Amino acid sequence: MTRHYLSLWLLLLAAFAAFAIASAFDMPEVAGHQFKSSEIYDGLFGQREPADGAVMSADTSVSVPDTVLAGDRVVFPVPCDTAAQTIMLFGDSMLEGLGPRLAAYAEHNGHTLYTVMWYSSTSEVWGRSDKLKSYIERIKPTYIILCLGANELIVSDIARKREKYVRKILADIDTVPYLWIGPPNWRRDTGINDLIAANTPKGTFFLSDGMHFERSKDGAHPTRSSASEWLDSVMRWMPANALHPIRMDVPERATARAARIYVHQPDEK
Amino acid sequence: MSVLTDLCNNIAAHLAYNPAEPMLFSSGTFWALFLVFMPLYGLLRSRLWQMLVFVTAFSFFFYYKSSGLFVLLLAATSVFDWTLSRVMSRPGRSRRFRRMCVAASLLASLGILAYFKYANFFLWNINAMIGGNFQPLDLVLPVGISFYTFQSVSYIIDVYKGRVAPTETWLEYAFFLSFFPALVAGPIVRADYFLPQIRQNRHATRSEVFTGLWLIMLGVVKKAVIADYIAQYNDLIFDAPGAYSGFETLMGIIGYTMQIYCDFSGYSDMAIGIAMIMGFSLARNFNFPYRSQNVGEFWHRWHISLSTWLRDYIYIPLGGNRKGTARTYLNNFITMLVGGLWHGAAWKFVFWGAMHGGGLAVHKATKPVLDRLPDTWWMRALWWAMTMSFVAVLWVFFRASSFADSVEIIRAVGRDFSLAYAPAFASARMMWLVLMLVIIVAHAMPEGFWDKAAAAFVRSPWIVKLLAFVVVVQLVLELRTADVAPFIYFQF
Repeated sequence: MTRHYLSLWLLLLAAFAAFAIASAFDMPEVAGHQFKSSEIYDGLFGQREPADGAVMSADTSVSVPDTVLAGDRVVFPVPCDTAAQTIMLFGDSMLEGLGPRLAAYAEHNGHTLYTVMWYSSTSEVWGRSDKLKSYIERIKPTYIILCLGANELIVSDIARKREKYVRKILADIDTVPYLWIGPPNWRRDTGINDLIAANTPKGTFFLSDGMHFERSKDGAHPTRSSASEWLDSVMRWMPANALHPIRMDVPERATARAARIYVHQPDEK
Repeated sequence: MSVLTDLCNNIAAHLAYNPAEPMLFSSGTFWALFLVFMPLYGLLRSRLWQMLVFVTAFSFFFYYKSSGLFVLLLAATSVFDWTLSRVMSRPGRSRRFRRMCVAASLLASLGILAYFKYANFFLWNINAMIGGNFQPLDLVLPVGISFYTFQSVSYIIDVYKGRVAPTETWLEYAFFLSFFPALVAGPIVRADYFLPQIRQNRHATRSEVFTGLWLIMLGVVKKAVIADYIAQYNDLIFDAPGAYSGFETLMGIIGYTMQIYCDFSGYSDMAIGIAMIMGFSLARNFNFPYRSQNVGEFWHRWHISLSTWLRDYIYIPLGGNRKGTARTYLNNFITMLVGGLWHGAAWKFVFWGAMHGGGLAVHKATKPVLDRLPDTWWMRALWWAMTMSFVAVLWVFFRASSFADSVEIIRAVGRDFSLAYAPAFASARMMWLVLMLVIIVAHAMPEGFWDKAAAAFVRSPWIVKLLAFVVVVQLVLELRTADVAPFIYFQF
């Protein structure tokens, strides 16, 4: 091997080693910006997705009482709330597929839907930001649906790293009834589903893991039609299982548009 | 022990075919593989046959990672074409026999392409015309089939015409056809340009090795930083035609215009850079296409390997400009129709090609008049603006899901268009705007600037190069989406 080949090879190797080693630790934060990890360490030493056919499920049998302590009030499960709601849907890019279908449900059932989509967001991104609180104050939702976790499937030691942010999100939601739609796993997660399940009362977390999705080209996002079916599943699950079911009769239209869609880019604070 | 098991399982999983994770030059998997490839290539490159075996095996593995068992199709194509090229080149073969060999090769290559790419389009049209009920076939398009099919077609025709001697061994032909830097998304490598390089056994100089690295970094920035990031907004506009204001829709169209350039030229830069490190030269594929002042110039600067292929194997055999003015325009039109269909099996691609063909014909027809107009800066600005508008509007047909969606998106620009959206747009999409500005400014910089930048990078100390590389990788990590988006041109 000639000298310049060796020189290039050492350069590529040194950079790879640096990123691999760095990914085994928490990435540093500089001036409020947390650097992102290459996840090489998790890619090499993390557990892989099981073979086709094996369906995993998060442990949802956590001991959460049927009544939920919310602030200093006790909220009891109620029968289906038929009142018109102001729904706020927030979360990551999965909302691209869920949003239009939920808008059709909202339109059909007399609800008003506001969508807040933050690309590439995670529980950490939302937990660190005041955006959620600010949107809740602005929109004043009577019901919140969120879908988060898809960008955290392979975060190592997730309970330690992300629990505070999951709790911060739930604290921001405060007493507003909510439903957390779990991420559509495209690979085995390192515990995000368990983490959400452990921190949310029974009936407020819909476990999407184990469902079969038709994926779009990126391999992660369900296709539009698959995302619609995904939301239909959530809505079928809601009446008998949700802590606070609201009226969600099946709409005739396949999709509709939310009253307002707010979009945030990955780099925003 | 379990750590070791996990490591082995993970490495095996990374090496296995996974349709959700195609092999991209900008992926960590390729980076790791290249770390293994490089020293072995460095050791073997002086030994021709060992180098050919090693690189061809790596290329076939590379294709397996991207397309699974379709690698067998690639191998079969290479065996069939090479055998025919040898058979027809034997002394004493009649012209008729040689023609039959070419026909057999074209039938096989284009037949396979037609089956995978156009069978459902054909069935759909049959259904539409006769009200039939043919069910679409469950077909997966092998990655890069359009690229290597065109390479194989040009090889067999060049051998027939005597422009290229057939390779002495199958290995050399397989090396040419499967050369991994250009295999899945071009540039389309021509036999007469590439085959002589194999036996020249060129050694990459220090300047070439690090210029190659520079091109890879440039390509990664274009593809994984700029194109993938701005795609997030553009996708919103194209996935919900008519749902956004005119201003937002216009931004989405301009955004896609830059996205497709960054995506495709970024891939070409990486391919050319990797080949350069290996001591091979691939022809330039993009030459600042958005500086063009007419459609003809655009096609001299955009996807040059495709446009020259279409010129040499469609336009010129049709008669080129040798059969009168009307026939020249018609030939242009037909060539661009084929170019449109090459990009995809849908009427929107046919329309896209037809419009470009029409644009070329109109430009040629009006050129004598246009040449008499004053060559002032504002005239050049006007031609540039007209050309860019034409190209950008036609990209809508390229990106939108259907012809109807394309029309809806273009109409949406005129509806509810107000510059009042601009401040809110700028505040909500600052990063998108910054990246758009970066690529526009970079595109406008004189070519000499980029040559000097590459030379400065090559001259810089090793540690500076390492830092620059680390910065580029971290930039990718900071701006990457949930998963890596495949190259737009993978689908062709």
